[in-house]
Amino acid sequence: MFLDFERIWPSVPYILQGVQVTLAYTSVSLFLGFFWGTFLALFKVSHTKPLVWVAGFYTSIFRGTPLLLQLMLIYHAIPQLTGYNISIWEAGILTFTLNSGAYVAEHIRGGINAVDKGQMEAALSLGISYPFIMKDIILPQAIRTILPSLVNEAIDLLKESALISVIGGADILWRAQIVASEKYLYFEPLLIAGAAYYVLVMILTIAARILEKKLKTT
Amino acid sequence: MILLENIHKSFGALVVLKGISGRIPRGEVLAIVGPSGSGKSTLLRSINLLETPTSGKVFVDNVCINDKGVDIRKLRTKVGMVFQQFNLFPHMTTLENVIYAPLRVKKIKRKDAETLGKKLLEKVGLKDKAKTYPAHLSGGQKQRAAIARALAMEPEVILFDEPTSSLDPEMVKEVLDVIKSLAHTGITMVIVSHEMGFAREIADRIWFLDEGRLIEDSMSKTFFKAPKTKRAQSFLEKVL
Ligand SMILES: Nc1ncnc2c1ncn2[C@@H]1O[C@H](COP(=O)(O)OP(=O)(O)O)[C@@H](O)[C@H]1O
Ligand SMILES: [Mg+2]
Repeated sequence: MFLDFERIWPSVPYILQGVQVTLAYTSVSLFLGFFWGTFLALFKVSHTKPLVWVAGFYTSIFRGTPLLLQLMLIYHAIPQLTGYNISIWEAGILTFTLNSGAYVAEHIRGGINAVDKGQMEAALSLGISYPFIMKDIILPQAIRTILPSLVNEAIDLLKESALISVIGGADILWRAQIVASEKYLYFEPLLIAGAAYYVLVMILTIAARILEKKLKTT
Repeated sequence: MILLENIHKSFGALVVLKGISGRIPRGEVLAIVGPSGSGKSTLLRSINLLETPTSGKVFVDNVCINDKGVDIRKLRTKVGMVFQQFNLFPHMTTLENVIYAPLRVKKIKRKDAETLGKKLLEKVGLKDKAKTYPAHLSGGQKQRAAIARALAMEPEVILFDEPTSSLDPEMVKEVLDVIKSLAHTGITMVIVSHEMGFAREIADRIWFLDEGRLIEDSMSKTFFKAPKTKRAQSFLEKVL
């Protein structure tokens, strides 16, 4: 027998408990990254040059270096520089938030630019202030149009969150590796981990499709 | 009262307004007419500073609004605007569109805002559309909702930029009728329009713009009976 799932079977629930962990990293980082990304996007579309530069520099750094490197830097550099003993969970959430914020910012900026210029003009002509125009008029429309790409961002983040296993976060991949080294069987636990990721990604993909269809019809 | 003093406006190398001066008394209905590209929209948008003149002064109620340090937002609450493309907020119902600015800017109570909003919707014939989203309104209904939205701030002046130009012909009249009902009620109206029949009927005064210059400023009757300039004559021959 080439594949020996029988010996792995008792460990499957242990690996699948990682789903919760993976989802926790993904959803919390996505949630925080969404707000951080919105904030950065507002910098990018502002008329204050230094803000535009700061946000542009920030996104180019986070999009231009490996996520794994960012994770390791934050996990190892923060204790060294500040003396604060950062937990795996904190390092993961911080890194994924900062990183996904950079990507979300680009999407939201695109969404803001796609909102008809007449919306801004109509709001200005009513005497609405810029912050309220953004919050009440422009962002709701921008975010609506980019919802499908936000779901894609969630999918990317879900897959990339597996990097947390490198610094010991007990996610799906990490658990699969533990089982592998205990049983001296590598292929089977990794397959199970892969299947778990795949199912999660498919669920999000289908959600994105439904969302896209709904947005088109209304 | 609105006073324009030697307004110039350029977009890069393109000179669009070449020194426009004029006076619009309070409560008057002014129609700005002229060939396409002559600068009518740019001039209109200078009155609420959607365009900032390159030079010259715009006075609203004796305040020079394009001076530095002027509260532009306060000015804009006094000067409403209705756009060719309606520009309703698509994620808000008709009623929400109308009461959004009074709630946000004037900070009136929601209940009072809704009373005001419903009154205005009734005025423009959209009483039963309060809860409808703009996507489900016809062009004429959208523009009437946009007029109600502008009125909700109780402006002293209301600017119309080709309010019927993107409407199907059968919807033009319902919008023009609403605009007519506002004329001579105390509110100053500045209307850019290519509907000459309408301009003739509603306007007290006509400004004829050509290539960025105000080449004729006449009372409506005079303008349509005997335009002073050759350019206006040939323009009227073409459009009437
Ligand atoms: N934002 C802008 N940037 C560059 N050119 C503009 C802009 N707005 C208007 N123009 C130009 O200014 C000229 C006058 O435009 P406009 O005031 O819209 O004329 P009208 O309303 O009389 O048709 C046109 O040639 C137009 O292309
Ligand atoms: Mg125009």
